[in-house]
Amino acid sequence: MELIVQVCVSGLLLGGIYALISIGLNLIFGVVRIINFAHGEMVMVAMYLTFWLNYFFGMDPYVSTIIVLPVMFLFGVLIQRVIVQPIQNSSANMKIFATVALSLILQNVALIVCKGNFRTVQVPYGMSTIELAGIFISVPRLVAFFAALASITLLYYFLKNTYTGKALRAIVEDDTIARLMGVKVQNLYLLAFGIGCAFSALGGVLLMPFSSVYPSVGIPFTLIAFIVVVLGGLGSMGGTFLAGLFIGVVEAVGGTYVSPALKEAIYFGIFIIAILIRPQGIFGKGKGSEEVGLK
Amino acid sequence: MDDLLVVKDLTKNFGGLAAVSEVSFEVRRGEILGLIGPNGAGKTTLFNLISGLLASDRGTIKLEGEELAKKPPYKRSAMGVGRTFQVVRPFDMTVLENVMVPIFAHYKTSKEAKEKAFEILEMVRLDKLADKMPSNLTLAQRKRIEVARALATKPKLLLLDEVLAGLNPSEVAENLPLIRQVRDSGVTILFIEHLMDAMMAISERVLVMDQGALIACGTPDEVTSDQCVITAYLGEEAPEC
Amino acid sequence: MRTNKLIIATAILMLGLLVVPVFFTSTFILHMFTLVFFYIALTAAWNIPAFGGKFSLGHAAFFGLGGYTAAILYVKCGISPYIGMFAGTFVAMLGGVILSFPLVRLKGPFFTLASIAFAEVLRMVAVDWRSLTNGSVGINIPFKPGWLNLTFTSGMPFYYIAMGLAIAVILLSWWIRSSSLGYHLRAAAADEDAAKALGINTAKSHFLGLMWSSGLTGLIGVLYVFYNYVLEPGSGFSMDRFSLQPAMNGIIGGMGTIWGPVIGAIIMTPLGEFLRFYLGTIQQGLNFVVYGLMLIAVVNFVPGGIVSLMEPWFKKKKSGDSSAADN
Repeated sequence: MELIVQVCVSGLLLGGIYALISIGLNLIFGVVRIINFAHGEMVMVAMYLTFWLNYFFGMDPYVSTIIVLPVMFLFGVLIQRVIVQPIQNSSANMKIFATVALSLILQNVALIVCKGNFRTVQVPYGMSTIELAGIFISVPRLVAFFAALASITLLYYFLKNTYTGKALRAIVEDDTIARLMGVKVQNLYLLAFGIGCAFSALGGVLLMPFSSVYPSVGIPFTLIAFIVVVLGGLGSMGGTFLAGLFIGVVEAVGGTYVSPALKEAIYFGIFIIAILIRPQGIFGKGKGSEEVGLK
Repeated sequence: MDDLLVVKDLTKNFGGLAAVSEVSFEVRRGEILGLIGPNGAGKTTLFNLISGLLASDRGTIKLEGEELAKKPPYKRSAMGVGRTFQVVRPFDMTVLENVMVPIFAHYKTSKEAKEKAFEILEMVRLDKLADKMPSNLTLAQRKRIEVARALATKPKLLLLDEVLAGLNPSEVAENLPLIRQVRDSGVTILFIEHLMDAMMAISERVLVMDQGALIACGTPDEVTSDQCVITAYLGEEAPEC
Repeated sequence: MRTNKLIIATAILMLGLLVVPVFFTSTFILHMFTLVFFYIALTAAWNIPAFGGKFSLGHAAFFGLGGYTAAILYVKCGISPYIGMFAGTFVAMLGGVILSFPLVRLKGPFFTLASIAFAEVLRMVAVDWRSLTNGSVGINIPFKPGWLNLTFTSGMPFYYIAMGLAIAVILLSWWIRSSSLGYHLRAAAADEDAAKALGINTAKSHFLGLMWSSGLTGLIGVLYVFYNYVLEPGSGFSMDRFSLQPAMNGIIGGMGTIWGPVIGAIIMTPLGEFLRFYLGTIQQGLNFVVYGLMLIAVVNFVPGGIVSLMEPWFKKKKSGDSSAADN
């Protein structure tokens, strides 16, 4: 009994990071309407940046956010400008190829520059836990969860209350109408890609104190983020957050009771079941499910 | 005259918005029935509901007494509902092949399909262009491909969505008789059109939609003198409709 | 006249290909030809769902399912590889049935994603299910030469097997493309709604396309395993070699056409091997960076693939012919 609670709590905390990464994807997908197959690689690059900053300058991972996040924001803007914008009007398949190519390039550049080794950051609080009613909670995971919660809330208010945020939401609702209303769409695409990238990067930074980085670390994140977006509903922040937590718990429970090697099999199973029983997204209001093709 | 299609209380909501609300009408066998209404009145949505590309929320759609509402689009097509689309997007193959695509449902071999497709192309006067790619054709010709493709499904009821829109007057004059010719070959026609003159010239009856509801139905003369229709188009406050 | 010339050219090409192993006894050249044939077959099989606009990045799943089925049956149960071919094809098609749920329900890009996930899941299962698959150690086909065991001392038999396979898959895909299924798939690719309204059960068409594709890929997987002797999760379910590579060949050659996959495989296979040997030894991963850059270049400058570049040339020839006929 205690074990299952323990497992669920740890999954829930990890789910916060998944939610963070997925919200980055949700924003990019919702605004730019591109399926970014290189999304997990954004997490990977951020993890390596965090690692190197710690390795060379002894910078604490949490402190390194002040460098990593702006860098990754610019990286996202650059990708949108250089890779995505030229093929903005091409077919969806062409966009897939471009982002698959990007993912291939980033993974292998990482392999060339950093070699295939697993890299970790040594921090004193890496293994520390606090005990709460007999449950042990890992400190870095707890930090990650609350940081995720805080930044998601921040994004929520940004989208809801600022002019730019409203314009972004208008594009998610209807691209053409937003254009007609004079919203400068290209600039907002750049912004959305940047923010989406920075959110994924934050996920990567928060992961570093308790996990390791290697060139192909990003692949499952792309997968997870898409499943979370499909489950949570396009454009639904709350739905994405809950779906992220859900996937975190499922992964932890499945990893403990079934087999850690079959994590991805479990995601895929959930994905298929979700498509079959509730195509409009488990938490979503159904908006955007048509974009996915689920009618 | 007997009724080919009977639509009753058909309703479709998008979110909170009623795109089509409680629409009831019938299409008589062998007639040309026009459907008009301002932009956003729900005309194309109604077509999507009848052809099955959208699932209705409520109401019944009966073709020759058989219920369509729960059937997938391809079954409705087999039962005799054909349609064209407002935005013409011919398949990326030759004109002949475009028309062959639906014919494969009835004929299994390429040769038979080809012969049948040629017959239909002759009817819409595209037989000389059979081997051309649609992208090299004029809009009027591409609209005729749409009609030919729909005819290839052997429809009893043909839903035409703005087959005249965007054409110049001489092209309209060329395509307009085609509609009558199709009807004379035994196909009942329900069609959406914005060109009022053309519409009034060939339809026997006209339906008028506004904001998802059916607001008038009658002969062209009756409809044009109807106060509700005039207000719907001019956007004035109607005394009582 | 023109068709006659074409038949003669094809006949010469076929004869040439038939005698290659007689004149070139070098193992390297034979291997390269065999590999090209395998990739032509793989790419042409991958291309069938692409007629319908569905783009898979998980065909390694079918390749691996076919290969593992035959290898396990042969090594663990002593069942003949010829029966294994049927079994492998069948199991790969079962995999196709599973992947058909996302295929039918999801729009293009999301199907692609699901296909990646599917292949990755199977790779994980192959690593994890040690009692059946020997885990990451893999399965070795024992070297007992003879036609009965589909194992040979020279590379010649497999040269012909792979060549036959490539020709068979090209002919099949040509037949599918010009049959009603092909027209329905192409219509669905161009405009799914219009296709439905014209009476096409698009879900069924996509499903049938995937069945052909998965079955053929499974069969290719079986033969490849007996050519290669070794099968482990990282190679059998390899994302790079059997999911990405056929897709890449298809895109670069021209997706959804008959000759695109052939041209793509002929160009990319030797190039891929070259890059792997030269760049890969200088710096592991460098070949994939080059691949990625090539792919981005193709997407930006030749989105229709090499075939689209050759099209005007073909058209010119064709219209020249017809005008000659008019005169």
